[in-house]
Amino acid sequence: MFNFKKPRHKLHIADENDLRLSDLKPGEKGRIVEIGGSENFRHRLIEMGITRDAEICVDKYAPLRDPMELIVKGYHLSLRGMDAQKICVERIA
Amino acid sequence: MNFNIAIAGNPNCGKTTIFNALTGARQRVGNWPGVTVEKKSGQYNYSDIRFDVIDLPGTYSLAAFSAEETVVRHYLEQDEAQVVVNIIDASNLERNLFLTTQLIELGKPLVIVLNMMDMAHEKGLQIDADTLATLLGAPVVPVVGRTGEGMDLLKEKILRVSTEISMKSRFIDISYPRDIEIEIEKLTHLIKRDDESHKQSRWTSIKLLESDKQTRDEVRIHPDGADILKQAKNSIERIELIFKDTGRAIISHARYGFIQGALRECVVESLVDSVDYSRKIDRLITNRWLGLPIFGLFMWLMFKLTYDLGSIPMDWIDAGLISLMNFISALMPESMFASLLVDGVIGGVGAIAVFLPNIFILFFIIAVLEDSGYMARVAFIMDRVMHNIGLHGKAFIPMIMGFGCNVPAIMGTRILESRRDRILTVLINPFMSCSARLPVYVLVAGAFFPDNAATVIFSMYVLGIVAAIASGKLFSRTILKGMSKPFVLELPPYQRPTLRSLILHTWERGYLFIQKMGTVILVGSVIIWVLGYFPRDVQVERDYQKERMELVEDYDYQMINLGTKFNKSVQKDRQEYHSEMIAYESSSSYQELHHQFQQLQDDLQNKEALELYRLRQQEIGDITEQKWIGRVGKIFEPIVRPLGFTWRESVALITGFVAKEIVVSTYGVLFGVGEDIDEGSQGVISGLRSSGMTPLVALSFLVFTLLYTPCLATVAAIKRETGTWAYTIFSIAYSLGLAYLLAFGVTYFGGMFNWLS
Repeated sequence: MFNFKKPRHKLHIADENDLRLSDLKPGEKGRIVEIGGSENFRHRLIEMGITRDAEICVDKYAPLRDPMELIVKGYHLSLRGMDAQKICVERIA
Repeated sequence: MNFNIAIAGNPNCGKTTIFNALTGARQRVGNWPGVTVEKKSGQYNYSDIRFDVIDLPGTYSLAAFSAEETVVRHYLEQDEAQVVVNIIDASNLERNLFLTTQLIELGKPLVIVLNMMDMAHEKGLQIDADTLATLLGAPVVPVVGRTGEGMDLLKEKILRVSTEISMKSRFIDISYPRDIEIEIEKLTHLIKRDDESHKQSRWTSIKLLESDKQTRDEVRIHPDGADILKQAKNSIERIELIFKDTGRAIISHARYGFIQGALRECVVESLVDSVDYSRKIDRLITNRWLGLPIFGLFMWLMFKLTYDLGSIPMDWIDAGLISLMNFISALMPESMFASLLVDGVIGGVGAIAVFLPNIFILFFIIAVLEDSGYMARVAFIMDRVMHNIGLHGKAFIPMIMGFGCNVPAIMGTRILESRRDRILTVLINPFMSCSARLPVYVLVAGAFFPDNAATVIFSMYVLGIVAAIASGKLFSRTILKGMSKPFVLELPPYQRPTLRSLILHTWERGYLFIQKMGTVILVGSVIIWVLGYFPRDVQVERDYQKERMELVEDYDYQMINLGTKFNKSVQKDRQEYHSEMIAYESSSSYQELHHQFQQLQDDLQNKEALELYRLRQQEIGDITEQKWIGRVGKIFEPIVRPLGFTWRESVALITGFVAKEIVVSTYGVLFGVGEDIDEGSQGVISGLRSSGMTPLVALSFLVFTLLYTPCLATVAAIKRETGTWAYTIFSIAYSLGLAYLLAFGVTYFGGMFNWLS
C-alpha cells in the first residue's frame, strides 16, 4: 500500500520581513499572499474564505487585545494573534 | 409513501429555523451514534406524502475534520436521504456556497434555499435566483425563515425534486483548472471500471486528490484499489509540482473561483447606503473598554434571573412536595412502602425537581444568547482568558454556569464545537462550586468559624476556581494534549430570536434533564433510603427506654419537690405577714412567689425537653450506626481517618454522592434532628461541636466536600456529554483523589503547626 506523506514540495516560505495579518492595525486592509501553519489550519482557513488574493480587513481587537476581528468575503470572523501571524499579507489602501 | 430529507448548511445560516418551520413541534432530539453531536429529526406532510427530515449539524465543509463534519459526510454518502436541502445565508453567499459546491459534487438531488433574503436586501444585494439555479444545476428557493415567507414554495420544490426524475438529472460539474481536470479524468477512468456512476467516480477522484483519508480507506478495499491509489499518488505529486501547493488547497481555491464566477452573473450589489447594524452593535458590545463590563453585566443578569426568578416557582414546588408527602403519610398507614414513597422517592426526586425552574430559566437565557448571536461575542471577549487553560473562549459560559449547578453547565458544554474542548470543560467543571454545596459550607463554617464564616466560604469558591484552572492546565498538557483545533470563529450578524425557537431550544435541553437526571436520582435516592432503612431490628447497647424513663421520673420528682417547696413558702408567708388578710391570693407578695415558681417550673420543663432530645439524638445516632448506612460508614472510616474524619463524616460524604445538599440532611439524621432541617439548625451545630470535630478537621471536611464528585446527576451528565464511561470514571477518581490529597494536606500540615486545633 502507498503512504501519503506530508507534502513533498516546499511552499514559498515567508521570511521574517514579510508583513503578517497580525501586523495590521484596526481599520487597515490587506490582501492574502500566503497562509502558513499546519495543513489542517491552512485548509480550515481556505474553507472559511481566507483564500490567496482575498481581501481582508482588520475590524478590531478584543478587549484583552486577543483575538482579532476580521472582515473577509463580507462576513466577520475572529482569529487569534498567534494564528494571524501565520498569514502573510500585503497592505492595500 | 415517504421521503427522507436532509437539511445541510453552514453554522448560523438559519438551518434550524427552516427545520422548525418545516416540521413544527413534531421533532425528536437524540445523538448520532458514537458521538455527542445532536441529531434532530422531524416530519411533515405535503400533498399526502410524508417527509422525514433530518437536521444535520452545521458545517462549513465536508472535509471530515470535526465530529460534525464526519457525521454529515457519513450520512450524506449513505443512501438514506433522497433529497438534500442546502440552506444558504443569502447575505453571506460566497462562503455559504463553498459547502454547496461539495454537495453538488456529492451528487444527491439538491434543493438550494436562499435564507435571510430580507437581510440580503438590506445589504443592497439583488440576487437572480433563476440564473443561480441554472448555474448550480438545482432549484433555488428564496425564503425568509423567521417569517415563514416562501415555505410553501420550498415544500413544493422538495416534493417535485423527490418525485420527478427530470428534476434530478440537471447536474453540472464544478470545473477545475485544466491540469487538475486531466488528473481527475485519469482517476475517474480507473474508478469507473468499478461500475460507478459518473457523479460518484468524479466525487471519489476529487476527494482522492484532496488526500481525503476517509475516501482513501474506502478505495483501498476496492479490487482496483492499489492501482487507483497509485494513480492518485502520482496525480497529487504532479499537481503539487505544477501549482506549488497541495491538491486540496488548489481544489478549494478553484471552488471559490467557481463561486465568484457564478456570483458575478447573478448578484448585483447596489451601492445602497446600507447600515451594518451588527457592526454598530458590536462597536459597543465588543468595545475595547466597555466589552468586558457589559459582558460582566450580562453574566450577572443571567445569574440573577436564574436564581432569583427561579426561586419563586421553586418555593411552589417545594410547598407542593411537602403537601404531597403529608397527604400520602396521612392516607397510608406507616409501612415500609409508605416510607419508601415519601422519604425515598418523593424526598429524593423532589430534591432535584425543585431545581427545574432554575434549569429551564438558565437554558432559556442561553438560547437567547445563542440565537441572538451574542454567544460568539462571548467567545471573542473571553478567549484570551480561556486560552490560558487551553480552551476556547466559549468555554467560559459553562464554567460560570457551574457556580449555579454543574448539571446544566456540563450539558451547556454542547456550545463548544471541538470534542476535546468539551471533554476538558466537562472534566474541570465540577470544581466550580455549585449552589448545592453552599448549605454545607454555611452549616460547617457556621458551627466552627462563627466569626469568619464568610471568609471561609469565599475561600472555598476561590479554591474551586484554582483547582479548575490548575486541572485544566494539567489536562491540556497531558491527557488532552495536541487535539486542539485552531480558533477560527465566525461572528454572525445579530438577530432577533423568535420565541418559538427559544421555547423549542429550552424544552429540548430541559427535557433531557428531566429524563436522564430523574432516573439516576430516583435510583440513587432509593439506594440511600434502603441503606438508612434496613436492617429493621437494630440492637443498641444502651437501654434508651430505661434511661428515658429514669430521666422522666427524675424530673417528675424534681417537679413535685418544687411544688411542695412553693406550698411551704406560701404557707409561711401567709402566716408571718398576712394572716389577717382575706384576699391573700391577690397580694403582691403572693404574686411574686407565684411568678418565681412558674419560672422555675418552666426552666425545669425546658431542661427536661432538652435532655430528652439529646438522648433521642444519641439513640438515633446509635441506631444509624447499626443500619447499613452506618456500617458502610464504618467500613470507609479507616480510609478517611487520616483526614481526621469519623464514620459520621464518611456517611455524610457517601450520601453526598447523590447530591451535596444531602450532606446536611445526613448530619440531621445522624444527630437525630430529623431530615427536615436547614443549614442554620442548632441541633446539628451543637451535635457537630460535641462530636469531637476540631475546626481544622472541619476545614478539611469543607475542602473535601468542595472537590469531590458533586452529585449523581453530574455523573450522569458527564457520562452523557463525554459519551464514555472512561472519562466519567476518570472524573470521579480524579476529583476524589484531589479531594483526599488536599483535605489530607489541610489536616496534616495544620496538625503539624497546631492550627485551629
